[in-house]
Amino acid sequence: METSKDLPKFAVLQLSGCSGCEVSLLNSDEWINNFQLVYMPLVVTSNKIPDDVEVLLVTGGVRTDEDIHNLRKGRSRTKKLIAVGTCALSGGVAQFKGNHIARESFLKASHRLRLPDMLPNAYPIDRFVDVDLYLPGCPPTPQLFMTALKDPENAKIAAIVCQECGRQKLNDMRPTSITGPRSGVVLPDICLVNQGYICVGTSTRGGCGALCTRPGHACVGCRGPANPYLNKEPKFVLDNLRRVFARMTDIPAEEIDAVLESPWLSLFLGQFTDYTQEADLPLRTKEKML
Amino acid sequence: MTTITYPLSRIEGHARVVIDVYDNEVFRADFQAMEMRGFSHYVRGVPAEQITVIVPRICGVCSTAHQVASVKALEDVFGITPPPLASDIREVLLLGQLIQNQATSLFIFTMPDRTNASSLFELSQSEAGKAREFSLAQMALKIRKIGTDLITLAGGQFIHPIKTVIGGVSSGIKREKADQMILTIQELLPVATELVDIYWEMSMEMGDRIGSWGDDEPTHYLASTEANNYCLNSQRLRVMQPDGTEAPSFDPHDFEAYLQIAESEYSYAGVSSYMGQILRANSLARINLTESLGTPRADAYLRRFVQTFGKPAHAIMFFDLCRGIELVYALEKAQQMLEGDLEHGETEVGYAPKDGTGFGLVEAPRGPLIHRYEVENGLIKTADFVIPTVHNMLAIRRALTVAAKRYVGPEGINAELERAVGRVVRAFDPCIACATK
Repeated sequence: METSKDLPKFAVLQLSGCSGCEVSLLNSDEWINNFQLVYMPLVVTSNKIPDDVEVLLVTGGVRTDEDIHNLRKGRSRTKKLIAVGTCALSGGVAQFKGNHIARESFLKASHRLRLPDMLPNAYPIDRFVDVDLYLPGCPPTPQLFMTALKDPENAKIAAIVCQECGRQKLNDMRPTSITGPRSGVVLPDICLVNQGYICVGTSTRGGCGALCTRPGHACVGCRGPANPYLNKEPKFVLDNLRRVFARMTDIPAEEIDAVLESPWLSLFLGQFTDYTQEADLPLRTKEKML
Repeated sequence: MTTITYPLSRIEGHARVVIDVYDNEVFRADFQAMEMRGFSHYVRGVPAEQITVIVPRICGVCSTAHQVASVKALEDVFGITPPPLASDIREVLLLGQLIQNQATSLFIFTMPDRTNASSLFELSQSEAGKAREFSLAQMALKIRKIGTDLITLAGGQFIHPIKTVIGGVSSGIKREKADQMILTIQELLPVATELVDIYWEMSMEMGDRIGSWGDDEPTHYLASTEANNYCLNSQRLRVMQPDGTEAPSFDPHDFEAYLQIAESEYSYAGVSSYMGQILRANSLARINLTESLGTPRADAYLRRFVQTFGKPAHAIMFFDLCRGIELVYALEKAQQMLEGDLEHGETEVGYAPKDGTGFGLVEAPRGPLIHRYEVENGLIKTADFVIPTVHNMLAIRRALTVAAKRYVGPEGINAELERAVGRVVRAFDPCIACATK
């Protein structure tokens, strides 16, 4: 057996998030044979990131002043930095997306003595440091983690979720109303849009193996926009979704709009699209997106 | 006055322990949550039926418990009861979460404390030691994966599950999938008991080496499992008093009459108490409140535990051993349930959304979890999350004080205190993301 000391070192820096990305990473045991995990507070006792790390995975968004400090320190100690998960890419669910009532209520409740201060919002990490690779998903699947660690340059990622879903799109099945976030019986093998579900897989990047839509749950867009919509204003991805629903259904446009802007979808879809409105952020090219 | 700060690892989330020492005496020991998730703020104004997709994101470790509690709270608002098949599938889902969580806490979080290693994945220099540790890590991840696979099977997604819906579950579990899972459990159950035995042995050695099993003062215990039915998709809360007698049980609707929850100045997590007293939740609370688990191997471990340590047992390191008993139970119980028919029958009932206040209770790995929602005009007006880790906050503080007093004396501060602090906190397996909801 190869000694663990010879294996390339990788580390995981957890900013403000839910640990779901770490749990997903632990669901793959493949890395044990290929990498030496030198820092990941969830599973390793070590107070600092060593300064000779090959790859640093960063999970969570920037929520506190301490997050900024740890992120910058982490960047200086690694050759390559990968932003992992919805929170690192967009700020995540802790982002307020124009909800001023929630923001005020949160900030009013968030001051404590001698503890890190909460920033006015949750921010994506590339607002503060250079990112070499983006791995979106809430959380990314264990397989995607392994691809990111081992050979991201040669990865073949499905352009959209539909490519991996396998459900058939029918021309003669046109719902006239929304079936609801999820209710009623889902027919097997038939596209969820044909069945009146607000599934956004048509605009969402693939690579997840369509693990929600195959068993019958509408895609909420956690992998973010597919390549054509990267770095574009929100209306590009939303307009594409509107076109899909106009082409495949007879659901009134106002009803579609109301759902596309609902908190349920804004968790993911809205956040990635909002992100592009910040002009001072670096471009996320498709080469850097896994 | 000297203030010592210990950052913590091998727990969920960002937290630290702060100990103030004055003239070689412990003045204060505190456990502080350093981040704030704030979901009770984010969900204000969200359409009620969408909250079940949002709240699993409170915590990736506990997403299953949050999803089920959330659905149950809305079912309470809408006045509907899911069919028995749906309740069974939810139970399988919660068992999957218990397996995943207890395997993580036992082998990834706390086993390294038994050998003074920095992690399960740290290998020693000697070939023999290396081979043994490597196989332990592989075995532990295999057992943990059964939990993940059960969550995927019964929840539709391995994190942030989606199959539990208002009114029931979106589909049954197919026979062939259940049979595959049964085979895996049958194959790995002996591996799990071997790991639990190794862990038990290591814990006994650690207890001997340290000369203490930690804070053992009698305390109140809170759980929502029954004495002879370890159902995690639970209905009522039970309390054991320090003398071992049981106080009257209560319904989640009445929790505020029994549990007082307060904010804390030095932590982003609150603290709760039972009628003003310190209480404990999590594995030891459940085991103290249990007569029989109802599966053969787990009941054998339970008898051994009670014979060795008595009932109720109070020392905090028993939390860790009880997780081992529960891991075995959850594997056996999941197999039993999958042997039944989870494919045919009514999976969900219809509902008409309406306004009102509802409560949803489940026994999460860390203890009873309650979601309380107030729905007005179809939107969430207020949301409360009553979090198991918060119930343990006062108990953690007391146990830290006990440990600190042990290692701070006239000769100064013993370096062992740092390890002790980690062991104490990990015994309670706190979850900071949840505690700062």
